[in-house]
Amino acid sequence: MPDFEPSVVAFLCNWCSYAGADLAGTSRLKYPPNVRSIRVMCSGRVDPVFVLDALKEGIDGILVAGCHPGDCHYQSGNYKTNRKIKLIKKLLDELGIESDRVRFEYISASEGQKFADTVTEFVFRLKELGPNPLKEECQ
Amino acid sequence: MSEEKLKFAFYWAASCGGCEIAVLDIDEVILDVAAAADILLWPVAMDFKYKDVEAMDDGHIDVCFFNGAIRNSEQEELAHLLRKKSKVMVAFGSCAVTGGIPGLANLSDKKGIFETVYHDNASIENPEGIVPEPSSQVKEGELTIPEFYDTVRTLDQTIEVDYYLPGCPPPTSLILTAVTAIIKGELPPKGSIIAPNKSVCDECRFEKSDKRITEIKRVYEVEKLEDKCLLEQGIICLGPATRGGCDAQCLKANMPCTGCGGPTPNSLDQGGKMISALASILGLDDEEKYNDEQVDALIDKVVDPVGTFYKYGLPSALIKRKVMKE
Amino acid sequence: MSANKTIGAVAVIGGGIAGVQSALDLGDMGFKVYLIEKAPAIGGIMAMLDKTFPTNDCSMCILSPKLVDCSRHQNIEILTLAEMKGVEGEAGNFTVKVHQKARFIDIDICTSCGDCEAVCPIKLPSEFEQGLVMRKAAYKYYAQAIPNAYLIDKEGVPGYRGCIDCDACTKACKAGAIDHSQKARDIELNVGAVILALGTHPFDPSIKKEFGYGRFKNVITSLEFERILSASGPFEGEILRPGDMEHPKKIAWVQCVGSRDRNIDQEFCSSMCCMYTAKEAVIAKEHESDIEPTVFFIDVRSFGKDFDRYIERAKTEHGIRYVRSRISEIYEKDCGDLQLRYEDMEGDLHEETYDMVVLSIGLCMTKDRSKILSDLGLEVNDFGFAYSHQKDPVALVRPGIFMAGSFMEPQAIPESVMQASAASAQVASLLKDSKGSLVEPRPEYPERDVSSEEARIGVFLCHCGINIGSKVDIPSVVEYTKGLDNVVYATENLYTCSEDTQKKLVDIIQEEKLNRVIVAACTPRTHEPHFKKSLAEAGLNPHLLEMTNIREHCSWVHSDGALATEKAKELVSMTVAKSRLLEPIPALKIDVDQTAMVIGGGVAGMTAALSLADQGFKTLLVEREARLGGALNSIHYTVEGIEVQELLKDLSSRAEEHENIDLHIRSNVSNITGYVGNYTVNIMKDGKESEHTIGAIIVASGIKEHIPTSHGYGKDERIVTQLRIEDELSETSSLTEGETFVFIQCVESREGLRNYCSRTCCMGALKNALKIKELNPRAEVYIIYRDLMTYGFWERYYKQAREKGVVFMQYDIDRKPDVEIGEKLTVKVWEPMLQEEIEISADHLVLSTGMDPADGNPELAKQLKVPLNQDGYFLEAHVKLKPVDFSTRGVFLAGSCHAPKFIGESIYQAQAAAARAATILSSPTLEAEPNIAVVDVDMCSGCRTCISLCPYNAIESVTEVIEGVEVTHADINEGLCQGCGTCVAACPSGAIHQRGFRDDQILAMIKALGACSLGGGS
Ligand code: SF4
Ligand code: SF4
Ligand code: SF4
Ligand code: FES
Repeated sequence: MPDFEPSVVAFLCNWCSYAGADLAGTSRLKYPPNVRSIRVMCSGRVDPVFVLDALKEGIDGILVAGCHPGDCHYQSGNYKTNRKIKLIKKLLDELGIESDRVRFEYISASEGQKFADTVTEFVFRLKELGPNPLKEECQ
Repeated sequence: MSEEKLKFAFYWAASCGGCEIAVLDIDEVILDVAAAADILLWPVAMDFKYKDVEAMDDGHIDVCFFNGAIRNSEQEELAHLLRKKSKVMVAFGSCAVTGGIPGLANLSDKKGIFETVYHDNASIENPEGIVPEPSSQVKEGELTIPEFYDTVRTLDQTIEVDYYLPGCPPPTSLILTAVTAIIKGELPPKGSIIAPNKSVCDECRFEKSDKRITEIKRVYEVEKLEDKCLLEQGIICLGPATRGGCDAQCLKANMPCTGCGGPTPNSLDQGGKMISALASILGLDDEEKYNDEQVDALIDKVVDPVGTFYKYGLPSALIKRKVMKE
Repeated sequence: MSANKTIGAVAVIGGGIAGVQSALDLGDMGFKVYLIEKAPAIGGIMAMLDKTFPTNDCSMCILSPKLVDCSRHQNIEILTLAEMKGVEGEAGNFTVKVHQKARFIDIDICTSCGDCEAVCPIKLPSEFEQGLVMRKAAYKYYAQAIPNAYLIDKEGVPGYRGCIDCDACTKACKAGAIDHSQKARDIELNVGAVILALGTHPFDPSIKKEFGYGRFKNVITSLEFERILSASGPFEGEILRPGDMEHPKKIAWVQCVGSRDRNIDQEFCSSMCCMYTAKEAVIAKEHESDIEPTVFFIDVRSFGKDFDRYIERAKTEHGIRYVRSRISEIYEKDCGDLQLRYEDMEGDLHEETYDMVVLSIGLCMTKDRSKILSDLGLEVNDFGFAYSHQKDPVALVRPGIFMAGSFMEPQAIPESVMQASAASAQVASLLKDSKGSLVEPRPEYPERDVSSEEARIGVFLCHCGINIGSKVDIPSVVEYTKGLDNVVYATENLYTCSEDTQKKLVDIIQEEKLNRVIVAACTPRTHEPHFKKSLAEAGLNPHLLEMTNIREHCSWVHSDGALATEKAKELVSMTVAKSRLLEPIPALKIDVDQTAMVIGGGVAGMTAALSLADQGFKTLLVEREARLGGALNSIHYTVEGIEVQELLKDLSSRAEEHENIDLHIRSNVSNITGYVGNYTVNIMKDGKESEHTIGAIIVASGIKEHIPTSHGYGKDERIVTQLRIEDELSETSSLTEGETFVFIQCVESREGLRNYCSRTCCMGALKNALKIKELNPRAEVYIIYRDLMTYGFWERYYKQAREKGVVFMQYDIDRKPDVEIGEKLTVKVWEPMLQEEIEISADHLVLSTGMDPADGNPELAKQLKVPLNQDGYFLEAHVKLKPVDFSTRGVFLAGSCHAPKFIGESIYQAQAAAARAATILSSPTLEAEPNIAVVDVDMCSGCRTCISLCPYNAIESVTEVIEGVEVTHADINEGLCQGCGTCVAACPSGAIHQRGFRDDQILAMIKALGACSLGGGS
C-alpha cells in the first residue's frame, strides 16, 4: 500500500506535551497532518483501555505523551503511564499487533521540536508497519 | 405463578461440562425446579434429537440455559435454533458470556490448532497428515462433521441474549437467584447480568490496605502466604477487575482470582483495566528512582499477559483474537 | 482606624518569579495587585532557563502555569513595558508613579499570530536569546510570553535601529491590533503597599578581560549556555559553539566570574552558580554523551537541600571533572579553541585546551536599580543591594515597602519564592483592614438547567484572520459540521475571541437555545477561560464549552491545505462527539475554618504564628517544651549582630500576649483528622486532651545538633561541638595569648548517610573564630574545611576572618584530618602546597557536625500524611516553586524542619508559610478544582487500588452504612483532589469518573476519529 496514510491519535497532557505541541505551532514547525490530539490533564489519566479501543476502532497509531520524569504537574502521573504503556505493549505483542503502534514519549513545554520530530518519525514508522490489522474488522 | 409448568432447556456448546454440574450443585432446590418446570432438552442427561427441537413451535421453550462458547458450525446452528424456539435465552457461564477458556483458542486459528493437534505433537501418529474435513467421502457415502471455525465467539456475538450468568461455572447462589426470579416471574430488564455490580474484592476475605507492590510473584514463589490481599503480596489477582457474586471462593482457598466473572459494569475491557491497575501500583514506591531498564524488568515479570488478563474473556475483549500473520 | 483606612491594593514591581509569586499570593488573599514589569512580558530570568537544579525540572514547564495564572487572575493587573518612577505617601496609602512605554500593538486584540513579525524587515539581536540569534522589530518576547502578545520596538538597541515605520505590519495584521500612533503613558497607582522584586542583573564578564568574553566567540556566559541547551532556544537544544556552529566536545566551566572578586568590587558569592554549573554540565552530557565537562572552581558551594547528592551524582554518575584551581588567563587559538591557564591547589601551573568555555557568571546590582533604592530613600549595604535586617529580612526601612527575590541578595529560585510570599504576608498584615475592599466579586450569572434537554450544539469556527483561514477551508468545515448529529448551529468568525464576537456568541447561545458550545480556534490553554466566561454570561454552565485547536495543532503546522482541512473536520467531529456527553460541572465550595495551627514554637513557628495572628487569623501555637524558642535558646550571639536573646524575648512575649494566638506549651499534637479548611486536632497537655478545629497547618518542628562519634569526641572534654564552644565563649571574658582553637568542618557530614550540607556550620565556625579574635587577637584559630559555604553576603565574614589572621586550610574527603589526644590535642592535616602532613597543637578542638532533623518528624509526617526526604527533613511540594507548601493542600512548612538554615532564612520562610496558609484562610470557602475525580459508590468494591496512587492523598477508604448495609468504599476529597485522573485510569472496576474527562467522553472521541479514519465520518 504505497499511499497509505496512517491515522494517529495523540493523548497529550495539558501542562507539558500539549504545550509542547502548541509551541511546535507557534514556531511554525511542520509535521505530517495525520495526528489528532486528545487533551487530558495529565498523562496519568491515560487508560490502557483507550489504547485497546483506539486499535479496535481501526486507528493505526497511538501516541501518549507526558511531562518528563520529575516534571509532571501532578508529580507522578507520568511514571504510572510509562508502566501502563509498557505493559499494554507487551500484551499487544502477544496478540500479534505490532507494539510499535503505541508510543509513549516525554515531551516538555519547550520541546516543540521534539513533538514535531516524534510525530514525523511515528508516522514514518506506521507507514512501514502498514494499516492496523484490526481495521478490516471495523469496515 | 401460572398453573402450567415452565419449560426449560439446557444446552452446551464449547465448554468443559462444569456448568452442567453446577446446575446440579443447587442441591435440593433442583426439586423445586422440577416441580415448577419441565426440562425439555438437556443433552448431558437426556437423550434427544435435533429434529425434536426443530419440531417445536417458535417460543415453545420458556427459558434456555446455554453454556459454552461458539467455535463450530453445529454450535452456531443450535444457538440459532434454540434462540428461535426460546422465549428467554440465558448465556450460562463464562464460555457463553465472555468466551471462557475455549476462547483462548483465539490466540491461534484453525490451521494452527490442527497443526498442533493432528501433526506437531509427540503423541500423534498421523503419517498421512489427515485432518478433519467438514465433508469426506468414504465407502458408505459422504460423511459430514461440523465445520471448525478460526475464531471462538461468545453467545451474544452469535444470537441475541436476554440474560447473562457469568462464572466458571456460575456460582450456585447466582443460579438460584436467576432460577427463583424466573419461577417467580420477577426478571430484571433484558440484557441484565445476573451478578452484583461490585468486584470480587468486595466479597474477599482478605484484609485490604493501600496497594503498592515492589515486584510480581507467582503463587509458588511466595514462601509464606500472609493473611492479606494477595495483590498486595505481589500475586496477580484479578479480583478488583472482576465482577463478584462468587463469594470470592478462590480466595477462600488461598488462590488468586483469575477473572471468570468478567468485567465490572463500567469496564469496557477487563484485561485492560487490570493492566492499568497493576501497572499503576507496581513499583510505586520510589518510582522516580527507577530507570527505564528497571521498569522493563518489573514489567517483564508479567508472563503471558493474554493468559493472565484474559483467561476467560478474550473473545469478548476489545481485541478479540490474535492477529495471525501469513 | 476607619479614619485613615488603608488601601487594599499593592504594587509589585518586577515580574520575575518573585514578583509573580507575590502577585499570586496577594491576589488570592483578596488584594488588588498591579504587577509592573519593565520587559514586554513577565517571567524574568527563570523563563530563560532550560532546566532547574536539583530536580532537573524543565523551567518553562513549571513556570508557565504560574504566568498563565497571573494573567487570568481577576485581581491581578499586569503592566508590561512599565517602570516605577517614584513612590509618594506612606504605609497604607502610597501613590506609585509608573511610566509605561507604548507597545504599538493592542494586547487585547493581538491574537499572537505573528503575521506582523513575518513581514517586518528589521532585524535586531534577541534580548531573550542573549543575542545569540536575531529577532524582528515586530516581535514577541518569547514563545510562551505572558501577556501573549507581540510588540513593536521603535527604539532599537545599541548598534541596531528599531521600527522604520514602513507600516508593512499594519497591513499584515488582519485583526487590526497595530497602532503606530500609540503613546507612552504615565500612570499613578494608589496602593497600600509596595513590593520591590526588581531582580538583579547577570554580571557582564567583558570587564574581566583575562577571560576574553566578547573577543573570543567560543567563550560564552552560563545564561547563553542555558539558551543553547533549551529546546526552544536559538539552536533548538543542539549544543553548538557560536564561533563556527561545531559541536564542542571539551567544555570548561569557570566558576565565580563576577563573584567573590575583590578587584571588581563584587566581594560576595552569587549563591547559585555552583549548582547551575553542575546542572548545565549534567544536562550537556545528557544531550551528547561524548561531551567532556570540566569545572574549574574555588569551593563547591552545595549548601542547599539535596545539593550535595546532586554534585556527587554529577561527579560519579556523569563523570564531570572538578578541578580546584584559579584560572589566570584564557587564550584563543586559530581554530577557535581556547587555551586555559590555571594554578592548582599544589601551586602548579597547567595549560589545557577546550572547545568552548562557559563563564559561570554571578549577579550584580545595576546602577538603575541602585538609583531606585536611593530615590526611595532606602539604605543600601556594602554591595549596593538594599539593606536587609536578619530579624525581618524582607522589610525595608521605609514602612510599607518590602522586597523579595534576588533584588535582595543573589540567590536561587526557592529563596526568591519564599521571600516573595514573606513580603505578601507582611503586606497582608499591614493592609488587613482593607483586604478585599478593592476587588470586584466575580459576577454570578443565573444558570440554565439543561439536564433534561437533548444536546443542542453550536460550533464556532475561527479564521483567526488568515492564520487558520488561509490553510483550512473554513466554509467547507462549517458545511461539514452542520451535518453532524446534534449540531444545530455552525458559523465562522474572523476572530472568535474579539469583543464583538463574544457578545454575538452570548446572543446566539440564547437565541438558538444552545446547550453545548464548541470553539474551534487556537489553544485552549490560553483562550478557554475567555470563552467560558461568555458561556456563563449566556446562562450556561461554563463547562459545557469544549475547544479544539485548529491553529497551533493544525493550520500552523501543516503545509497542505486540503489535508489540514480534512484534519480540522475530524477534530471538530471528535469534539462534537465529546460535547454531546458533556455535563455541567458544579462550582464546588469547601467551607474553610479560618483559623490555623502552627506546630513548633521555635523562631519559625513563632514567626509564622505571629504573622497569621497579625493578619487577623486565630492561631494555635503548639510547643513540646516548656519554653518557646527551640534552637534559639542555645544561640548567644551572631556575627551579623542580631541580638538573639532579645529577638527571642520579643517573639515569645508577643506570642504569649497576642490576642489571636492560643499558646499551648508542654503540649503535643496527639491526633489530626480532616482535610484542608476542616481539620480537627487533638492537643495533649499533662495527660489532658483538648480538641480544636482549624483550617490550615504549618509545620515548624525544628532541628537539633548532630552528636559525633569520631575525631575523639567524648574522649576528652577539650573536644567539643560548635554549640558547646559558643556556650563556653559566651561565658569567657578573656583568652590567653597563643591559646589555639582548631575547627574541623563537615564532621560526619556531606558523606555517607548524612550526605548533606548543614548550611550554617561554616558561618558558625567563622562567627566563633571572630569572637575568639575579639576576645584576644593573639589567640590562634585554624579552620579546616572542605568547601567554605559562605554564600551570598556571608562571604564578607570570610574576608574579615582572613584579615584577622584566622588560618584556613582545605582538606579533601579522602584525606581527613586526624586527632591525637595528649597533653595538647594534636591535629594532623595534609598541606597540599607543602605536600606533607602538618601538625597543629591545639588547646581546643571544635567539631562542626551539622544538624540532624528533629526526632519527632517521622511521627508527625505520618499524622499529616506528608513526606520526609531521605535525610529525615520534610519534603516540600516542589523544590523550586512550592518551597513552603506540601502537596497535600492546607499543610505548609517553615524553618529548619525543611532543611538547616539561618535565623533570617527561617523568619522569611515562616512568613512565607503564613502567607500561603492565608491564601486558603482568607475566604470562608475554597473553590475545588472543576475536573476532580468522583467515586461511584455503587461500583466501588473498596479494593484500595486507587488510594496509594493519589499524589495529594485525596483518597481514603471509608466505611458507612448505606441502606442498612455496611459498605466500604473509596472516597475522594473534593478539596484535595487536583484532577489529574490517575486514579480514574487505574480503578480496575471503572468506579471513578473524572469530571470533564469521563471515560465515555474520551471513548466517544476515539470512536469518532476511528469512524473518520475509515472514511465514515461525514
Ligand atoms: S485483589 Fe484479590 S486478594 Fe486482594 S482483595 Fe481483591 S480479590 Fe481479594
Ligand atoms: S480502585 Fe476503584 S474499586 Fe478500588 S477502591 Fe478505588 S474506586 Fe473503589
Ligand atoms: S484525580 Fe488525581 S488528584 Fe484526584 S483523587 Fe484521583 S489521583 Fe488524586
Ligand atoms: S501533567 Fe504532564 S504528565 Fe502529568
